[in-house]
Amino acid sequence: MFKLALRSLIDKKLRFALTTFVVVLGVMFVVGSFTLTDSLRSTFAGLARDIAQGADLTVRADQSFGGDFDRATVPEAVGEQVLGVEGVDRIQPELGALNVFIVDSEGNPIRPPGPPALGFNFNPGTFFITEGRQPGAPGEFAADTSTAANNGLLVGETYEISGPISAEPFELVGVFNFGSPDSHTGLGQTMAAFELDEAQRFFGMEDGYQAISVLVSTGSEVSDVQARLEAALGDDYRVITQEVDAAEQEEDFNQVVDIFNTILLVFAFIAVFVAAFIINNTFQIILGQRVREIGLWRAIGATPRQVSRSVITESAIVGVVATIIGIGLGLVLALMLRAILELIGFPLPPGPLTLRPRTVGLALLVGLGVTMISSIAPALRARKISPVAALAHDFRLDATSLRRRVIAGGTVFAVGVVALAAGMTAGLDTTPTFVLLGIGAVLAFVGINTVSPAFARPAASALGRPVKSLFGMPGRLGRDNAARNPRRTASTAGALLIGLALMGLAAVVGESVKKTFVNIIENAVEADYFIRSAETGFGPPPGFPARLADEIEALDEIESVMRIQFAFGGLSVDGEPRDIVAADMALADDHFDGQVSSGDMAAGDPLTALALHSDSAESLRVGVGDTVEATFPDNQTETLTVVAIFEDAAIYGNWLIDGALWDRHFNRNDLAFASARIADLPGAVGEAEQAALQDRSRAAIEGVLDRYPTVMVENQAEFRQTQESQLTALIRVIQVLIGLSFVIALIGIINTLSLSVFERIHEIGLLRSVGMTRKQLRRSIYWEALIVAVFGGLLGVTVGTVFGVATTLALPESFVQTVAVPWLDLVVFVLISAVAGLLAAILPAVRAGRMNILDAIAHE
Amino acid sequence: MTSSPTQALAVAAQAVAASKIYGSGDTEVRALDAIDVGFEQGRFTAIMGPSGSGKSTLMHCMAGLDSVTSGQVIIGDTDLTTLSEKDLTLLRRDNVGFVFQAYNLVPTLTAIENITLPMDLAGSKGDTAWVDEVVGATGLTDRVKHRPNELSGGQQQRVAVARALAGKPQIIFADEPTGNVDSNTAAEILGFMRSAVDQMGQTIVMVTHDPVAASYADRVVFLVDGKIVDELADPTPQGIRDHMTQLGA
Ligand SMILES: Nc1ncnc2c1ncn2[C@@H]1O[C@H](COP(=O)(O)OP(=O)(O)O)[C@@H](O)[C@H]1O
Ligand SMILES: [Mg+2]
Repeated sequence: MFKLALRSLIDKKLRFALTTFVVVLGVMFVVGSFTLTDSLRSTFAGLARDIAQGADLTVRADQSFGGDFDRATVPEAVGEQVLGVEGVDRIQPELGALNVFIVDSEGNPIRPPGPPALGFNFNPGTFFITEGRQPGAPGEFAADTSTAANNGLLVGETYEISGPISAEPFELVGVFNFGSPDSHTGLGQTMAAFELDEAQRFFGMEDGYQAISVLVSTGSEVSDVQARLEAALGDDYRVITQEVDAAEQEEDFNQVVDIFNTILLVFAFIAVFVAAFIINNTFQIILGQRVREIGLWRAIGATPRQVSRSVITESAIVGVVATIIGIGLGLVLALMLRAILELIGFPLPPGPLTLRPRTVGLALLVGLGVTMISSIAPALRARKISPVAALAHDFRLDATSLRRRVIAGGTVFAVGVVALAAGMTAGLDTTPTFVLLGIGAVLAFVGINTVSPAFARPAASALGRPVKSLFGMPGRLGRDNAARNPRRTASTAGALLIGLALMGLAAVVGESVKKTFVNIIENAVEADYFIRSAETGFGPPPGFPARLADEIEALDEIESVMRIQFAFGGLSVDGEPRDIVAADMALADDHFDGQVSSGDMAAGDPLTALALHSDSAESLRVGVGDTVEATFPDNQTETLTVVAIFEDAAIYGNWLIDGALWDRHFNRNDLAFASARIADLPGAVGEAEQAALQDRSRAAIEGVLDRYPTVMVENQAEFRQTQESQLTALIRVIQVLIGLSFVIALIGIINTLSLSVFERIHEIGLLRSVGMTRKQLRRSIYWEALIVAVFGGLLGVTVGTVFGVATTLALPESFVQTVAVPWLDLVVFVLISAVAGLLAAILPAVRAGRMNILDAIAHE
Repeated sequence: MTSSPTQALAVAAQAVAASKIYGSGDTEVRALDAIDVGFEQGRFTAIMGPSGSGKSTLMHCMAGLDSVTSGQVIIGDTDLTTLSEKDLTLLRRDNVGFVFQAYNLVPTLTAIENITLPMDLAGSKGDTAWVDEVVGATGLTDRVKHRPNELSGGQQQRVAVARALAGKPQIIFADEPTGNVDSNTAAEILGFMRSAVDQMGQTIVMVTHDPVAASYADRVVFLVDGKIVDELADPTPQGIRDHMTQLGA
């Protein structure tokens, strides 16, 4: 039977190629995602080692939660103490800051696209000067070789640098490689290094360091020194070895990689799922075409077992071949993904591709597994083919009755929906939730796909009605062929359905979030101007120098400026880290209306005041006047008093504290955001005067910002516009990524269409013989594809909208309040799938047109 | 393409020194060997000959489904060898009818839709009165809304002949139209073709193996090894049988 299966594959090269191709795609996506993230991991591991090198031990403040840059500093006095410990040869203080932008000679800040812009004190252990010298005095800095080379920075020239507090000119005195003397091992981040005292001043960390590197004197055991340091410094500090330091760094990086990996895997999962549909579909069609051949086998004595075994063997061969090719192409895909991500503004660090055995194993599981599973149903059906089938002209495999389909599909769908509902209500951050959601989605789609043949024929007929009456015989035939085999039409459309449903879901949820956000901003914005980083991209915007807020506040035209800072996991309550916003609470209500429902933001002592979103207040069961024990990333605990509860999380998030309290516990001085209010003119003011004031105040703010090239100002309308377009862009990126599944669906349509054309060769020959022109023939195939694609599109958009609305309703109030359906987007999606259908039809249509008429007629 | 005015016994189609060669070198097959043959208007011609003698090839080449290697094929006054692929297609649609041995019908279309298919492809209504007449002549008026799989083999072939007739082509070629049916059914189909010639003035050329079928024709042409070897006017089954024995076919 193996020989038979092999023969059958070799004889039907096209069939083999098409089936294999689909499996290859699925495998390719899996291998591509894993390879890419594994490569990232190993690149980051290398970086982590580079960062940790040059120190035997590192001393830093103990930290139980929060970001690395929010860790408490190590006071200078601790440095003295460390030096006094036996076996310590030398120490090297370490200092780092985010958002240190070098401004090039053209006046443009150098923005690494993605990685951060960092500032350090010059560390001779890991920074290796290649030109010039290390910075040794105030007003001097050194830059890494790649930043210098890529931006034409010259040693001896002076450049403006925008730091956490101010923007100042510095002379470039040297250029260095990071990590190794011979080559720079940075990952695209820009690095500006200063002399230690200068770094402390410029970063606003005068009284300490972020960490102290310790070099152990020769003859001392590192572990002994570590023990002695731990004893001397006590519980507030950690003393870690180079290995642990590297491992912790790596883990930090890996958290980012893991998120990335999850996202890629979700897309790989979608790809495999879509591919599985197509594979199954292809096997079914192929089986339909081979009925007669199989009947012949049976007639000459093959047992049903042998028949089904040959079908399964055939699929196993396809699976293995496809897996091998898929692994190869997966590596190519990883490179392509890297290029694509770089194009849309997410550059990844370079580095060799890593193909791990685990990836190969998964590829086999997917490639072979999906193919084998997809061939089970066809194999079982093949057993039922009787020898008589070899004789009948139009023997058809019994299709499952539509009634049974609707019942079975409906049940699967219902189970899927229940799982989805359970997943949605279970909270959004646990693994079981994702598993539930995943299983629910798969079941729901399988259910829909099982039921959809029941209405594929009426739907295709209905969709085709105008086509038929408007576009003559080609339109008519296209419609008939689309409606001819509802199962095939439904599963071809099913491949499109998945992608479209997900795009539709993203569109509805996204639009609802956007609408909610826009409404909120519309109602909440009280300030006149908004000052933010000029960088537009995804993720939290980089901070900017705090001092510019003082300068703007000092302007005559400006009444007040509110400074906003932000920290992920900025404080911990009940052992759980919470994201916080810090602002001038006395001004908060004047600049943004947070919809305070009880209390007063401006009331109370700024050093202990806390304002809470009602969701958080509810879950903590606290009200105005109650106290909350809050721990900060510097391990200090404070008793905060709830002064206000607000309803609108758009600006202030869930946890709002005052800037004064922030300054006490955070070393980060840069602002995330600032808003300004124009001072009112005395007396009654005419419109013209008001407009003039607007112009004057804006000019004044822009005058200040001239000195801060990383920062820009927006008025209310511009601010709203930016917020809205950023959300739109994010939704688009998600949709484009989901849209990749279109590529697979496209191949699915090419596949089915080619096979269904192949099935009709005789008929096509006949049509051509009675005078159908090539053009008419091609058109009829285009119409067929179009109808199938639009069917899939409509179904997908409908399913997506329903799921989208359900998801929106299930999401927390603080996130979405309105349900909005982006009709135009949905129409565009259907159009996109129509275009996809047409594109997919080109190859089969052209091939059909080129077919020799007599050969076609002779074909049965 | 306009049809030439009808003249009594004008030639509807003819092959002039037409050769068809398949393959080359050792595998060369001369399916048609410089054939000269004409088919007069309003006549029913049967073509007979042993298997592999080139009958189908002749039909295909004359109907514009295939091209000759050398020589000419003329329908009306159009030389097919000068036509583009597109013009050939239009010629088939508007001026030629063709009936294959079996599976002549598009399964998704009803009988009547199959009959009007060439006109629908041309985007014209055709001559509806004529179509009605043709349908009436098939004796299938009450079954025209049926799909092919709901019709018997003989009915299907009658629908196929009706399609060939419906567009009033200059000539109809039928390649063993009764090869796949029993003798009673064959008689139905042949009778229908005969009446199309007699009552509608149609020109038909039919390939057959069956002397009885050939006897419905006005003339029988014998083909051997790609050449016309003989012909017989107003044939009877017995006359044909005798002839075939003579030819050693
Ligand atoms: N497509 C083809 N390729 C090669 N040889 C062919 C082809 N079609 C027909 N022939 C050969 O041409 C000759 C005539 O065939 P055909 O016209 O089908 O004969 P008939 O219909 O009289 O049985 C035969 O020898 C046949 O093998
Ligand atoms: Mg023949």
